[in-house]
Amino acid sequence: MMDLFLQTLANALIQSGTYALASAGLALAVGVLHIVNFAHGEFLMVGAFVAYWLSVLAGIDPIVSLVPAGAVMFAASGVIYQASIRRVLLAPELNALLLTFGIGITLQNLAVLVFGATPRVVHTAYQLTAVTLGPVSVGVAPLMTLVVSVTLLAGMYAVLYRTGIGKSIRAVAQNRTGAHLVGLDVDRIYLLTFGIASALAAIAGAMVLVRIGASPHMGFGFVLKAFAIIVMAGLGNLTGVLWASLVLATAEAFVRTYVPGGGGAAEAVFFLLIFFTLVWRSWRTA
Amino acid sequence: MRWAGPAALVVALLVPLVPAGGYQQYVVQVATFVLINAAVALAWDIQARTGQLSLAPAAFFGLGAYAYTMAALRGVPLPVAFLLGPLVAGAVSLGLGVVTLRLHGLYFAIATLAFAEVVKVIFKELPLDLTGGAVGLTAPPLLGGHQTGLYYLGLGVLLLVVAVSLAVRHSRLHYAFTAIRQGELTARVLGVRVVATKLLAFVLSAALTGLAGAYATSRLFFVIPEDTFGIGLSVTALATAIFGGVYTTAGPVLGAIILRSLEEGLRLVLREGYLAVYGVILMLVILYLPGGLVSLWNRRSRDAAGGD
Repeated sequence: MMDLFLQTLANALIQSGTYALASAGLALAVGVLHIVNFAHGEFLMVGAFVAYWLSVLAGIDPIVSLVPAGAVMFAASGVIYQASIRRVLLAPELNALLLTFGIGITLQNLAVLVFGATPRVVHTAYQLTAVTLGPVSVGVAPLMTLVVSVTLLAGMYAVLYRTGIGKSIRAVAQNRTGAHLVGLDVDRIYLLTFGIASALAAIAGAMVLVRIGASPHMGFGFVLKAFAIIVMAGLGNLTGVLWASLVLATAEAFVRTYVPGGGGAAEAVFFLLIFFTLVWRSWRTA
Repeated sequence: MRWAGPAALVVALLVPLVPAGGYQQYVVQVATFVLINAAVALAWDIQARTGQLSLAPAAFFGLGAYAYTMAALRGVPLPVAFLLGPLVAGAVSLGLGVVTLRLHGLYFAIATLAFAEVVKVIFKELPLDLTGGAVGLTAPPLLGGHQTGLYYLGLGVLLLVVAVSLAVRHSRLHYAFTAIRQGELTARVLGVRVVATKLLAFVLSAALTGLAGAYATSRLFFVIPEDTFGIGLSVTALATAIFGGVYTTAGPVLGAIILRSLEEGLRLVLREGYLAVYGVILMLVILYLPGGLVSLWNRRSRDAAGGD
C-alpha cells in the first residue's frame, strides 16, 4: 500500500521535471515578451527530432544531444523572431497567439510530410536499467531527465537573478519603455529571451524522446499542459511554474494509479484542474 | 458588393446540377464540406465580435453531433434528434458562459480550450453502450442519405447562420458587440449590459455550431471523439474566419470556400500534412493582411468611391 504510494510519488516527481522544463520557456516568453507562443510544443518536437536523427545517423546519445537540439532551436527561433514575431509584439495579444498558432501548425505538418506521422523511439543501454531505492524503483533514463531538468532550471534562475544579462531581461520584462530609456537594447533582449525559451523547449523535447519517443504530433499535448501550468502559476510567474508542475503531475499520477482505468481520465483531471483554477480566480477577484 | 450575396446563393443552388461527369458526386461532397466549414466559421465569428476568443467550437460541434446520434439511435424521430443538436449545445454553452465569461483574453481562450478537452475525454470514457467510447458511433443518415437532398439541407443550415449573422449586424446588437470588443469598461459606462450581451453571443454561436455538428453527422454517418471533438475543428474555424475577414458575414464564408477547396485539392496530392497550408495562410494573413480577404475588397470599393 505504502509502496505503491511512494512509487506514484516518484513517478509524479519525474513527470513534473519534464513539465516544468517544457513550461519554463513558455513562461519566460510570456513574462518577458508578453506573447503567448502556441508553437512552443512544436519547438519541443523539433528538439526531439534533432536528437532522434543525431542518435540514428551519428549514434550520439540523446542525453548528449540536448546541446545540439537546444542550439538548433536557439538559432531557428532567432530567424522566426526576426521574420515574424517582432512584427506583432505591439499588436493586440491575440495576433501573436494566432501567428504562433500558424507557425506551430506549419511546423507540425511539415514534420508529418518529411518524417511521416509514425512515432519514433530511440534505444539506449540505460533505458532498460533501473535504480531501486527501498520500495521505489525508477528507470535510469527518467532519472537522468529529472537531473537535466533540475540542473537547467537552476541554471536559468541563476542566469536570471545572478547575472547582468538576467538583470537586463528582468528589467525589460518589468517595463519595456523604462528599460529602453536607461539604454537597454530591448529588441536584442527579446531576441535573446525568445532564443533561450525556445532552446529550453527543444531540450525538453530531447528528454521526452529518451523517456517516450518522438512524433510530429507530440508537441500539442505538451503545449496544452504547459499552458495549463503557466496559467495556473499566474502568467509570467517563473517560480509558480515549479509548484504548478508538481501539483498537476502529482494529480495526474495519482489518478492514473488509483482510479480504475484512469489512464484516459488523467488527461481530463489536468484540464479540470486548470479550468476550475481559472474560474475560481475570476470569481474571487470579481 | 450588393450582387455578391445573391449571386453566391444562385451558384450554391446550382452546384448539384453542374454536369461534372464522373466527378459529380465528388463536387457535391466537397461543396457540402464547404457549407459545414462556413457555418462553423461564421458561428465562431459571431461570438468573436464581442472580443472573446473561444477555442470551444469543437466542444459544441461535438455535443451537437453526439446529441443527434445518441437520440437517433434510441428511436427519437430524426428531425427531433436533429433539433436536439443545437438545443444541447446551446444549453451547455449557457452554463459554460455563466462561469467563464468573466475571464478575459488569453485566460478565456485557455478555459474554453480546457473545457473542450475535458468534454472530449468524458465522451471517450463514458460506458461503451452509451457513447461508443474511443471508437464512436455510427449515425443514422437524414433524408435516407440522399446526397443532393443533404447538400440542400446543408445550404439551409448555412443560410440560417448567415441570417443570424446579418440580423446581428443590422440591429442594435452590432453596436453592443463592437463596444464590448473595443473596451468593456467603456461599453458598460455607455449602458451596454456587458455580461448578458456576451452570454447571448456565446449561446447563439454555440447553438449554431451544434446545429452544424448535428448536420455534419447526419451527412458523415459517424462520430468519433478524437475527430468530432478534435481541436483541429476549432483551429479551422478561427483560421477560416481570420483568412476571410473577421467581424463580417462574407469573410468566413469566402474563407471556407477557398480554404476547404484548397484543402481537398491538396489532400488529393498529399495524403497527410496538407494542413500545413492552414498554418502558412494564418501566418501570412496575420502579418500582411490583418483584415482578411474582405479588406482587399473594401479597400478597392472605397478607392473607387473616392475614399472616405
